Amino acid sequence: MNFFAEPRNFAEAARYLIDLWRREGTLQFLRLSLTLGREKSVAGEMWKYGVAIGLLSFAFVAFMLLTEGGAAFNTSSDGINWGLAVSVYIFFALTSSGLTFIASLSMVFGFREYYPIAKRCIWLAIITLGAGFTVLALELGHPFRMLWAMPAGMQYLSPMFWMAVFYLIDLVLLLIKFDRLWHDDWHSPLSHFLSVASFVAVVLASGMLGLVFGSMVMRPMWFGSFTAVYFILTAALSGAAAIVLATYMAYGFRHENMPEPLRSMAAGKALPKVFATLTGIALFSVVTRIWTGLWSNLDGLEGFHALVRSPAFHVEVWVGLTLPFVLMVAPALQRQPRWQITAGALVLLGMFIDRYTFLVTGQAVPMFKGAWASGLAEYAPSLTEWMMAVLGFAIVFACYGLGEKLFHLAGNPRHEVRGSAEPKAA
Amino acid sequence: MPKWGMVIDLEKCTGCQACTAACAMENSRLPGESWQDVILFTEGEYPSVQIKWFPRPCMQCENPSCVHVCPTRATYKTDQGFVLIDWDRCIGCKYCMIACPYGVRFYTDEKPLAAPDPRKVFKSEDEHSWNPPWKAPQEDWKRGVGIQPRGVVSKCTFCYHRVSKAPKDVPDLSEHDPKTREYTPACVVACPPTARYFGDLDNPDSEVSMMIANKNGIRLLDQLGNKPQVYYLTGSGGAVPSNRAIKKT
Repeated sequence: MNFFAEPRNFAEAARYLIDLWRREGTLQFLRLSLTLGREKSVAGEMWKYGVAIGLLSFAFVAFMLLTEGGAAFNTSSDGINWGLAVSVYIFFALTSSGLTFIASLSMVFGFREYYPIAKRCIWLAIITLGAGFTVLALELGHPFRMLWAMPAGMQYLSPMFWMAVFYLIDLVLLLIKFDRLWHDDWHSPLSHFLSVASFVAVVLASGMLGLVFGSMVMRPMWFGSFTAVYFILTAALSGAAAIVLATYMAYGFRHENMPEPLRSMAAGKALPKVFATLTGIALFSVVTRIWTGLWSNLDGLEGFHALVRSPAFHVEVWVGLTLPFVLMVAPALQRQPRWQITAGALVLLGMFIDRYTFLVTGQAVPMFKGAWASGLAEYAPSLTEWMMAVLGFAIVFACYGLGEKLFHLAGNPRHEVRGSAEPKAA
Repeated sequence: MPKWGMVIDLEKCTGCQACTAACAMENSRLPGESWQDVILFTEGEYPSVQIKWFPRPCMQCENPSCVHVCPTRATYKTDQGFVLIDWDRCIGCKYCMIACPYGVRFYTDEKPLAAPDPRKVFKSEDEHSWNPPWKAPQEDWKRGVGIQPRGVVSKCTFCYHRVSKAPKDVPDLSEHDPKTREYTPACVVACPPTARYFGDLDNPDSEVSMMIANKNGIRLLDQLGNKPQVYYLTGSGGAVPSNRAIKKT
């Protein structure tokens, strides 16, 4: 499936696929569909392995859910109600929000140097949000019932209701926005309006996700308006890390494979500057949250003591935030691809841990039900829960590979000409 | 319209768990799914350690955070003060369990606390989560009464199926009054030392209202603003646990 140019619309793409199927026969067509082309490519590999791992992990999760139901999870009414699956959802939802923030740098705030990554950011925002929704749906008792019960209930007092509303608006706007970019519409009033609306929606969505936790006065480790701000700030960092890593990944982690505008952007100071600033802000937020948690005598904050004793927390702070911060502020390192890739990967690891520890330690201090026990509630995710996380990542990898192949994600307003001589994605 | 509430006299409660057993039988609960529980906890350290207990049903709050957070309105509060769950609307998101300060909500699909898993031994062939050999006859999924389907949250209903049928304008429902006994919640009926009282909180002549006024009834975690409709009388011998039962580090 080597398109000489992007398909202009779904009808064109479907026509091309039907032609290909007629020309090649069913078997060859299926083989080409799995490899995304005759030649080996990074996008094709991502798609192939993403689909394979995604199908395997989905089969495992589906089997466990059908045979064991929710008993396949290690969550419990007595201890941790929301486990790994919810933290994976938070991770993907906030990464999606962060990617939209990064896309907004050029598309809303006019920082033109970030145009080369804008379209890729929007595509990644769509697929990470989709992966998050998928994992969340598998965790819910009745995901399909949600589709009618939430609009019918209109429980405007529930932060979760508003989170769903804003993330749905966010997803719809992202899809329309991507459609406009697919048609090379970067600057029309409609396109600009979509960018601004999308930015507003994503601030509200990620902030409201924070308020799902921040509104819980009975859970002091989460309570407070800072949680919404914390989510928005760390979302931006997740997005920055994801786009750095994903961009390099699309070109086989080889700087020289990138098209010119992207290459010069990666080699410039703009990217490390944003990355370092966001890492610094996130580090500051994490440390201040821990400080107030350790200092206060308020009942229910004891989880912070357990948190600072856990190895995962130190991996997050030292390896996932401090080290990338140093890498991105050091003049000798910040513009080198290998250190940018390292920083991106470490920050994503740190943010994954952060979502998990935030969620789990926030529930670890028992309330009255837990008074049977004298310590913190214990929890370790089950294999089914881990496989749900794997499924989420597989969806992102597969869809990223597909998007890279189909949609010319490096497109930007300065390179609108189709089939130009710029290097193709590997 | 009565506003039903409960008073639990901690001076009288012996921690015998008769209420827990009666609730489990009345409502066909799984082991560990104790809508009504008596929480045991310790205070002090050896050699001055004391074991204490605390009976804890759903507080049926006046201002219930579980109702406010439910994204589908599956959890709701009735005019008579019951906090109920519509199992046909519940999506099993467990947000209400997160938001309940008293830990009185239970998710159906979890690892079993007893082995073998009663849900597998008494497997249901229909939408019910299990099919015990004996179960109470009442069932009303719109109000969270009976054996629940899979993938939903359940909780104490204040024995809605009994209380809602009580004669009008009765100030109290008491197991000692033959006219109201069958409408009284199972945990109140079963309490051997009569530590539980059930009545109309809006009626100043009800026994529960007078006890709350005369004996200084308190509400659990009142600072959180949920305003429970379950009051405790602490007197001189009762014990209300501190908010969190774990040691400071």
